[in-house]
Amino acid sequence: MLSETSEDTTKQSRNRVGSFLSRRDVQQAIRAWVFWAVTLGGLGYLLIPHLMTDSASKTMDIVKSTFMAFYYTSVPVAAVVLGIATQTVLHNRHAGTVPPPDDNPAIETNQMANIVWVVISSALCVFLLVWGLVVENVVAEPSRAANATVVNVTGQQWIWTFNYPAARKDTNELYLPVDQPVIFKVQSKDVTHAFWIVQMGIKINANRGEITETAVTPNKIGVFDVRCAELCGLLHAHMQTRVHVVSKADYEKWLANQGSVEQWPAS
Amino acid sequence: MVPVNKALRTLGVIAIGSLVVSLCAILAIGVSKPPSILKAIQNGKAQTTEGLLPAAHMEISIWPDSMRGMHGAHGGAHPGFVSYGPTSHFQVPAHSVVTITFKQYDSGEKISNPYFAKVHGTVDGSMTLDGKKVSGIDPNAVGHTFTVHGMNTGQPDMFLSIPLPPTDEDAEPEPNGYAKPHIITATFITGAAGHYIWNCEYPCGDGSYAKFGNAMSTGGYMSGIFDVVDANA
Repeated sequence: MLSETSEDTTKQSRNRVGSFLSRRDVQQAIRAWVFWAVTLGGLGYLLIPHLMTDSASKTMDIVKSTFMAFYYTSVPVAAVVLGIATQTVLHNRHAGTVPPPDDNPAIETNQMANIVWVVISSALCVFLLVWGLVVENVVAEPSRAANATVVNVTGQQWIWTFNYPAARKDTNELYLPVDQPVIFKVQSKDVTHAFWIVQMGIKINANRGEITETAVTPNKIGVFDVRCAELCGLLHAHMQTRVHVVSKADYEKWLANQGSVEQWPAS
Repeated sequence: MVPVNKALRTLGVIAIGSLVVSLCAILAIGVSKPPSILKAIQNGKAQTTEGLLPAAHMEISIWPDSMRGMHGAHGGAHPGFVSYGPTSHFQVPAHSVVTITFKQYDSGEKISNPYFAKVHGTVDGSMTLDGKKVSGIDPNAVGHTFTVHGMNTGQPDMFLSIPLPPTDEDAEPEPNGYAKPHIITATFITGAAGHYIWNCEYPCGDGSYAKFGNAMSTGGYMSGIFDVVDANA
């Protein structure tokens, strides 16, 4: 008796879903959903890689792949919203002063619809969570490296300075050896800034009175951009400098050539 | 169909709104008069490590208030703010050897970042302080710094930082009422044309943000524009 009741309920739910899906307005919304999913997915595939900057670290590679993964995950959800909006705008417009007729009954009592909705939403959330935990672990690898170079970073209105404690050296531009993990210990002398190496995918707040840490392993030789990513006052836009990623031999040469020159007092 | 009266009212509101916004913009532009430009004076050529280059010079002063420079005899909106002068917008020629003479009339204390007590970006990394060649000053006694830098995008790299020591407050005042100034000269070689900013990195702003507020974060006092322009400009 109980089994028959359960089967009846399931059958009723399926019938209601089938009836729901066969509705003209629902089919219109589904077609709009397909249109938006294909359009957004295609645009993302074609445009986003060109809008994102070049990569100079594994961290940046992960940032880019994470962005794309989250984008493609959100496309079907965004397409549902846009699909319903499109169907509404195109087919359910109502003019005049007379109130529009009531909509069809809500589907909140439809068990099958609720199960599908909860399962899909949960799956997406779990996917994002697992992805985030996995890449977070990979991104943190340079900070665990025993041979990491330590650089103290100081932000103040509106300039960055860098101190290499092992070499007793201070500079206004960063020099880093390629394929060598680097730990940045970041602080501010005044307001809150944000230390951002654009092409390496790292960004962290520079706070007054405390030290924050971030780490990266640059994997490409070249000149890249350091910027402040926190609106910090009048000349915030000019709070930029360069990071030179060089070979290990050139890095050692650079340290040796200028190692003690920048120190005060010169002893 | 939209009634004609309703459409006219809508257009009227848009027109009045646009007019108000335009008037505000015109007023704002009129009030915010840009500072005058101090151009380096070109004076012959000088032999450098990069060959014979056109030479130019300019003089900049630093005062403990705003009564002497671009803000007028009464000091403008903030007469008590320390200020650079005679303006905050400087212009030097490209591919030239430029000498700036600083007259430093203000006091000072310990600098929060000793990096800026050293000379950076000048010929041989030095400057002259009251006629004596030095590569830096005591970080426990800094008055101001003149630090030039800019954006990375599409222009040559430029970084210049000149530390300026504080005056002796016990010394006999000058006829202008200020303490006897330190005279600092700094010589550097410019590259191609570019647009940069300068600001003081000694926290002299009194007030909030570890003394980086007030004059330190208000345009035209301890910060401004530093342009490198082609010789014909």
